[in-house]
Amino acid sequence: MGLSEQPAERLPVASSPPGGVLGAGTPTFLTTRLDFVVNWARRNSLWPMPFGTACCAIEMMAAAASNFDLARFGMERMSFSPRQADVLICAGRVPYKLAPVLRRIWDQMPQPKWAVSMGACASSGGVFDVYSMVQGIDTIIPVDVYVPGCPPRPEGLIYGLMMIQEKIREERLSEHGTLRAEDPAAVARARADAEEVLALSGPFGNSTRQNRVSGPTGSDASDRPDDRIP
Amino acid sequence: MPASTTVEALRAAFPDAVVRDLVQSGDQQVVYIDPSRNAEVLDWLRTDPGERFNLLVDVTAVDYGDGRPLEVVYQLWSIPHRRALRVKCELPLSRLAIASVTALWSAANWLEREVYDLFGIEFRGHPDLRRILMPENYAEGHPLRKDFPLRGRFSRAEQTRRALSQDMEQYYMPDEMEGRGAPQLVPADESATSGSGSQGR
Repeated sequence: MGLSEQPAERLPVASSPPGGVLGAGTPTFLTTRLDFVVNWARRNSLWPMPFGTACCAIEMMAAAASNFDLARFGMERMSFSPRQADVLICAGRVPYKLAPVLRRIWDQMPQPKWAVSMGACASSGGVFDVYSMVQGIDTIIPVDVYVPGCPPRPEGLIYGLMMIQEKIREERLSEHGTLRAEDPAAVARARADAEEVLALSGPFGNSTRQNRVSGPTGSDASDRPDDRIP
Repeated sequence: MPASTTVEALRAAFPDAVVRDLVQSGDQQVVYIDPSRNAEVLDWLRTDPGERFNLLVDVTAVDYGDGRPLEVVYQLWSIPHRRALRVKCELPLSRLAIASVTALWSAANWLEREVYDLFGIEFRGHPDLRRILMPENYAEGHPLRKDFPLRGRFSRAEQTRRALSQDMEQYYMPDEMEGRGAPQLVPADESATSGSGSQGR
């Protein structure tokens, strides 16, 4: 209504001078490094794949909501399909039953891809140093950024994602072959080998009866050997 | 607090099956019954016109440790009489088996699978007794037993290896979703009336 009442010659499109946006005579091109342009495009259009399993996911949703507004950083769309995602945000604890699901979602994401381990449980198992819980998702998938906290505030997650952006800024297309190579043999297998898993999942001391020296059995389990064959 | 009318009626109907009774938490009536006769006692509680415990709220188990017997707990609720009852069966560790009550309440199906998964109690006559919470290839035993080590029996490396060797497809099989002999969602008589209703529309 208001627009149509304005005279046509006052519209900016009609009055803009020929040439570039900075005025007549400015060049309509710019020169830069290909690395910079590609990384600039990548780091400002990251689509997160939310793998929210616990309370950290609530903070992740808060980070995406209007107060914190993850969309400012180009993460406009939470991609619930791994095929269109760039960053996997693992927010929450991962039990062993879910480990192959996490690995498959990571395998389904196309390169280039990054992973954020959000919160204490995803990063290390947290307080859940128990029989059913993965002791850090970095035993299952490669992780780029660990966000500490229980749960981290949205600022923490945003800071972690900005660190991903900084990491992308450093990448070079000449290293793409090594950095972004996919190994078909690694599909559906744990990232860490047995020795590394044992080193990563050493006890914190929150389960006092067992430690790495006493071994995985530290109870009277041997009294009931039938338990081994359920 | 005197024994409730339910316990009196139960003692009258099954004088040798009721082991003991007590009241917990103010008003929660608990009855210990003979585990070998759980099915007939629970069937009587479900169908007797004075009791009508037609809602099975929960089936669970308790391990008190130190070689004490495992307790299977049936939490019942009578919708017509608005009355709760907790029925317990003590199972010695040497013989962890009890009759399934899936024929009485369909709700017992997954609850008994959970108790089997976490405590290793065998429910005889259960139509589909296999693990429900732990992975299908879980071989470390039954985690909620008191003698189960907190971190499990295998090393973390072995647990990770086994976790990633799971066949995920088996969790999402179409026949799993549809179910062999799937429960009828609408009882036969009600589906007949709803069918005639759709004809009028």
